Amino acid sequence: MPDTETKFEITDEMRAQYGVDSAPWTYEVTTTSVRMYARGIGSDDPIHYDVEFAKAQGFRSIVAPLGYIGTPVYLPGKNDPTFGFPRREGGPRLNIPFRGLLDGGTETEYFDYICAGDVLAETSHLADLKYRETGRPMLFVTNESVYTNVATGKVVVKQRLTSIHM
Amino acid sequence: MGEQVYFEDVREGEEIPQLKKNCSTQQLVLWAAGSGDFYQIHYDKDFAQRTGLKGLIVHGALKNAFLGQLLHDWVGEQGQIRRFGCSYRGMDEPDQDILCRGIVTKKRSEDGRHYVELDVWTENPDGKKTSPGTAIVTLPSRA
Repeated sequence: MPDTETKFEITDEMRAQYGVDSAPWTYEVTTTSVRMYARGIGSDDPIHYDVEFAKAQGFRSIVAPLGYIGTPVYLPGKNDPTFGFPRREGGPRLNIPFRGLLDGGTETEYFDYICAGDVLAETSHLADLKYRETGRPMLFVTNESVYTNVATGKVVVKQRLTSIHM
Repeated sequence: MGEQVYFEDVREGEEIPQLKKNCSTQQLVLWAAGSGDFYQIHYDKDFAQRTGLKGLIVHGALKNAFLGQLLHDWVGEQGQIRRFGCSYRGMDEPDQDILCRGIVTKKRSEDGRHYVELDVWTENPDGKKTSPGTAIVTLPSRA
């Protein structure tokens, strides 16, 4: 049921976590994972499925569909079992009391293509908190992540994700 | 993917070709497997209703990926998506049309690149924009 009683307050301690980068986590991009994501969005573009086709277009392997930035390496006990994202040292600790959770928004900036075979190092930090008390209380949490290609050292993607807790 | 679109051929105010989606629950599970997001509100109706939802809903990030596909299909092999995103303002349900749309808002050339800015969004069958956002792409020039 909707949580209408729980109250929350954004504290200075929470704000102090803005911009504090987490430890890096490894994200893998494989031919299987690219194809799986492409099936998930219902794409039939061979650039996401056929390695030889992708290479003929000048790419090093099949290209990740937009929205897919690899899969975080899963280590039992260290990743969230529902969402897969890593729970790591240095990440924000907000002790959010709300049980409900929805996507709030996604913004992605691309500096290069992501292809199967890429290994990415991701760091993230808390970028913003907003709390709305009118009506059903809602906490908007925005995290920023930076993905670096481990082989080249080049930043390939920056992404802002907003989640809504209520 | 259709014919290559060029910077010179694009006009501000022009709508790009639409992309229609309609997610079965199977597609939601496929995308869950692809993304690693196994939140139960997207495949377990009882769980979804216990959280206060009417029923299953489409992942917000899947709609974001649909907008990515809309742009990918439009810019062609020689175009590139530089930035895109959306906010999730309304919920979409399985087995319901989701229309992905985009309109060119601005064109500019800078440092030898040809940028096109767009408003993009998903639209439900009532015409409501459920995921409004923006995008910046580069297109090849005929010059």
